[in-house]
Amino acid sequence: MRIVFLALLLTASLLYSYYAYDTLSFLTTTGRLGPGFFPRIIGTLLVVLCLAALISDRRSAADEGDIGVAADAWSVAAMVLASIGYLVALRLVGGVVGTVIFLLVILSIFNRGRYFLNATLSVAVPACLYLLFVVTLNADMPEGLLPLPF
Amino acid sequence: MDIFADLWMGLAVAVSPINILYLLVGAMVGMVVGVIPGFGPSAGLAILLPVTMGMDPTGAIMMLAAIYYGAMYGGTITSILLNTPGESATVASTFDGYPLAKKGRAGPALVMQAVASFAGGTIGVMLLTVLAPAFAQVARNFGPPEYFLLAMLGMITLLVMLGHNWKLGLISALIGFALGTVGVDLETGQSRYTFGSAELIGGIEFIPIAIGLFGLGELFYSFYEGAHKTGADRLIRYSEEKHFWPSLHDWVSTRFTMIRGSLLGFVVGVIPGAGATIASLMAYSLERSVSKRPENFGKGEMAGLVAPEAANNAASSGAMIPLLTLGIPGSGSTAVLLAAFLMWGLRPGPLFMEQNAPLAWGFIASMYLGNMALLVINIFAIPLFVQIIRIPYRILAPIVVVICTIGTFSVASSNIEMYLMFAAGVVGFFMRLYGYSPAALLLALVLGPMAEEALRQTLMISQGSATIFFERPGSNWIMVTTVVLLVVLPLLQRFGRTARADPASAGA
Amino acid sequence: MIRHTIRHAAGFRARALAFACVAGLLGTVPALADYPDKKLNWTIAFGPGGGNDIMARTMVEIINKYKLYPGDIELQNRAGGSGAVGWGHLYSKSGSDYDISTTSGSFITTPLQANTPWKPADFTPVALLATDDLALVVHGKSKWNTIEEFIADAKKKPPTIAGTGTVNVDFIVPKIFSEKAGFDIKYISFNAMGDMTTALLSNAVDAMVSNPGEIVGMVESKDMKALVYSGEKTPEALGPVPTMKEKGYDVGVSMPRGVILAPGASQEAKDFWIKTFQKIVETPEWQKYIESNFLTENIKYGDDFASFLETTQDGFEKVLREQGAIK
Repeated sequence: MRIVFLALLLTASLLYSYYAYDTLSFLTTTGRLGPGFFPRIIGTLLVVLCLAALISDRRSAADEGDIGVAADAWSVAAMVLASIGYLVALRLVGGVVGTVIFLLVILSIFNRGRYFLNATLSVAVPACLYLLFVVTLNADMPEGLLPLPF
Repeated sequence: MDIFADLWMGLAVAVSPINILYLLVGAMVGMVVGVIPGFGPSAGLAILLPVTMGMDPTGAIMMLAAIYYGAMYGGTITSILLNTPGESATVASTFDGYPLAKKGRAGPALVMQAVASFAGGTIGVMLLTVLAPAFAQVARNFGPPEYFLLAMLGMITLLVMLGHNWKLGLISALIGFALGTVGVDLETGQSRYTFGSAELIGGIEFIPIAIGLFGLGELFYSFYEGAHKTGADRLIRYSEEKHFWPSLHDWVSTRFTMIRGSLLGFVVGVIPGAGATIASLMAYSLERSVSKRPENFGKGEMAGLVAPEAANNAASSGAMIPLLTLGIPGSGSTAVLLAAFLMWGLRPGPLFMEQNAPLAWGFIASMYLGNMALLVINIFAIPLFVQIIRIPYRILAPIVVVICTIGTFSVASSNIEMYLMFAAGVVGFFMRLYGYSPAALLLALVLGPMAEEALRQTLMISQGSATIFFERPGSNWIMVTTVVLLVVLPLLQRFGRTARADPASAGA
Repeated sequence: MIRHTIRHAAGFRARALAFACVAGLLGTVPALADYPDKKLNWTIAFGPGGGNDIMARTMVEIINKYKLYPGDIELQNRAGGSGAVGWGHLYSKSGSDYDISTTSGSFITTPLQANTPWKPADFTPVALLATDDLALVVHGKSKWNTIEEFIADAKKKPPTIAGTGTVNVDFIVPKIFSEKAGFDIKYISFNAMGDMTTALLSNAVDAMVSNPGEIVGMVESKDMKALVYSGEKTPEALGPVPTMKEKGYDVGVSMPRGVILAPGASQEAKDFWIKTFQKIVETPEWQKYIESNFLTENIKYGDDFASFLETTQDGFEKVLREQGAIK
């Protein structure tokens, strides 16, 4: 995974550099530092450093054991997926209802069996947020595409 | 003394019941707004400015200013408890604040940050009272060459901070620089990495990245460690917390830290644009270089929390100097304050304090009262905040996700920023997992654009010649300061340490 | 995409809802009633606290005070993408008579920079009320006391002039001015007014352009000298400073502060709002707003406003294309 993350970083750096070299000019027509000056330096350095890290990582990967002690990758994956679901829910049904759904789902996964507490929290938290953001601070909660009163 | 007569008059203006009420409301709102991840002082001010439209200017400006420095107090609370800085000035407070909480010292950390904020804020206002005209001259010396050197100073501090983990740290910083180049190129007006999207013209905002990298990233990491299975103990060992109040040692060991941090913070805060972020960062690294235990920094050293806190609060008083004496806003927050002044037909400038003496001095006097009120509010509120970490993590975590998400959205009502925050959260998790430095990324995001703009402006002014850095007195001062901070102080410290260590080893 | 609703006052929703109910009942009758008979949606394309926001709120306050609109007005901040989001929302309301918005400089510049589906000409123009103009200022101790002296030296050596941003009047105005007066400039772009001002005070640049409101305090204290003003009439607080037009170098470009309706709004709605704004600009509250923000009153209604927008945008496009800022 460590190497995959680095490889992804390297790919992003290459794309970044490509844009810097392709679209942005290094110097302006009058010979001053152009919009591409810094991006090209940053991009090149990023690519070089990622490559260096990748090489030294591949070397050390052999003698490095698994780092995960109490590592619970599945919980992280569940949390990330639930958060993505949350973002989708916010887009569809808006801040208040989306939060109720998200909290119900995530609490029934991680806080299993405590139905009353979970249900109370799922309603109380968005209600408090609504009061704080919309009523008190005059700010806004995400509005969904579906027309709901909240 | 004239100043005391003025201050006395200001106090008379400030203590009218209605103004005190406004001040307290402002301080409370600032605290609350600061605690919410995403809502730093500028967002809080901007949202509440329209509410004050019909109010009397004196009370309204006191209230708005109280929101501003109140948010500086509140912002640190989440830095300590959740590792989530609400704005760039409190990034440095997470370095030791969160480790302190993890060690079971959340209570003392919160109390000390409140005291440090109070010390910073009050020393800052005192300097503002006495030295405003003198420091206005400091701000007048800052042109592009000075900003470039200041950004370089910030970057050197950043490199020092990275220490032995420099390779991954440098990659992290470069990612921050890369993100900083998104948006319209200041000089040519050409769009960079915006791909035709109007959302990206203004560049990538600090707040969503900060909340994602630190708040969500930390949360995912805690899940990875299994914090949700074991109740609250894993995140912060509250059960091991022996004392709520700081120990005598905490007070004694940080008494000079507060003064150093406040002075440094104030001076840097006077400089428009650099302000609180660079101030807190410099205070942190200064403290580490003069510390007897530099190796403890980053592992929960009280001085490492106190220094940036004193500095960023002193900087918020310092920022009032260019605002009041030159009419120059140094940051997003003071820009909103300036908008408020203009809304009431007040025009800050060199003559402002003479022409509007009751208002100006009332405003300054209110800052003394406001800081006192905030200290009291904090001390009473801290036991409440400490309860937060007693909530089992499996319940707390989803609520934190909700608050981070809605908080990020509400600042600019932007879905894009919400998605950016989430993406930064996932990246932040992997960065933590594999030993990268999210803090370096964030600070690079602030410093990078500043350095690029200032360098290009400088070279345009000087027609490509670098000698301009040696021709301007301001530049020379910054270079001297850099050398002192980075070479002389650590050297002195080393000599001091060996001198002290020698008799000890001889005796042993 | 982005919404930011500011409730105008507590309990507004309830009133709006009640009003909507009444409107709904009336709606069953064929719409014979005159315009307006519904709630007005006022879009602010920027966040709260900014210049555009304060202008819109001032207008609504005046409208409410003098009872110039019979229904409710709901103000909505739809910030994002330098106005692209807010005006994009108004664009999506094509044909509506009840969607209105206030314009500022970004109304011209944003479509030039990003792929917005709308152009300024798409909307129904109501009125131009004022323009944001710029003063050219130099350091208080500078050797130049008049614009003539400045130009004379500028012809020998191009001066450095600071401004905020490049795709902005701050760049366009000194650029056109220098072309007409026959000298070259080196334009230094700054991100914010703060570091730009210290750049001038620290003698890093020769001159800068700025809105009068931001520098009038410095001019009064003689820390800065104003040399020339780009608007129709120099604000009194700046002292006896000539305008560019008086000196024969009319730049003809300024940031429009006006009001627009959704594309394709009816003639009836347009006439109603033109009449309403004719009343608004007469009120003392509006005069105070113009004065305290140092705007130049510049009133053009309907199609005159449209042709003003067109001229301004053409001017921008030409200069920015030469500069290479846009393609």
